[in-house]
Amino acid sequence: MNDKKNKVSRRQFLNYSLTGLGGFMAAGVLIPNLRFAVDPVLKQASAGGDLVNVGLSEDDITEDPQRVDWDVEQVDGWYESDINRTAWVFKDENGDIQAFSPVCKHLGCFVTWEGSDDYPDEFFCPCHDGRYYKDGTNVPHTPPLAPLDVYEHKIENGMLFLGEPKPREGA
Amino acid sequence: MKWTPEDLQKYVQAKEYIDTAIIPVLGFQMNDEKKLEKEAFQREVLSIYTNEIEKELSGRLLLTPPYNYVKSNDMSGELNRLNDWIDHIKEQPFTSVFILTFDNQWKKNEKDLNAELLWFPSVQTGDIKSEETIRMIRNQVDQISELIRTYW
Repeated sequence: MNDKKNKVSRRQFLNYSLTGLGGFMAAGVLIPNLRFAVDPVLKQASAGGDLVNVGLSEDDITEDPQRVDWDVEQVDGWYESDINRTAWVFKDENGDIQAFSPVCKHLGCFVTWEGSDDYPDEFFCPCHDGRYYKDGTNVPHTPPLAPLDVYEHKIENGMLFLGEPKPREGA
Repeated sequence: MKWTPEDLQKYVQAKEYIDTAIIPVLGFQMNDEKKLEKEAFQREVLSIYTNEIEKELSGRLLLTPPYNYVKSNDMSGELNRLNDWIDHIKEQPFTSVFILTFDNQWKKNEKDLNAELLWFPSVQTGDIKSEETIRMIRNQVDQISELIRTYW
């Protein structure tokens, strides 16, 4: 009798094994799909990590814009290459860090801070005399039609990290 | 502007703003094997220079395809061919055409060229990615850009 009590019946055995097997199969189908569903969330986290240390400490950033050059690795179709990036970095009157792309919004020359003696306190483009105020907005009636792009930035362990340049609304 | 489909599209649209062309001029030879490595290195260095200059001044400057030739002591044939290039480019019109080269043979024939020659001695060998080389090239690029700007 006792023996019979512990025995798993044929029906029970089949039930257990089929549920188990079904469970595995369902998981096999569902888990990759679940991974696809949450992928955008994971992606966002890694995009934040794309900011790179440009080798400038926060204490060295002054109210005078300074040119910073750094390299980022880029895979572009056939080529895997180091491309160099440049930014003008300074602290604005509120003490906030600003990092502007030097690429002129007219035709893409590099602008320089106080690049012309005639226009102090402005970014100046040597190619067609484009001008920008210190906050990066374009001076009206000069060739550029939009403000300078702004780099994403963060401070970590006292060092400046920069990401991608982002365009702003035109003035 | 570089000689790429995207940049040339921009060039055609903004032609009136782009009045300066740069031709990288690159010689090669295969007889003197000892020089092969050095010359290949210089080729790389010149392309870095031209790319960097283009980056600084891209809105007013077109980087043409490089002019290649076989190095020899008699430059007269090459001189004519290069002048053909220059004249063809100037038709567009370009008000200034610059020639960038490390080959001092061109320096000797400078007066017969229809363009401004920018000849300068190159780094001979070394690590192109070393801090020192990069700093030197950046510094020289600044000076060359400044020189080009004085023609504007």
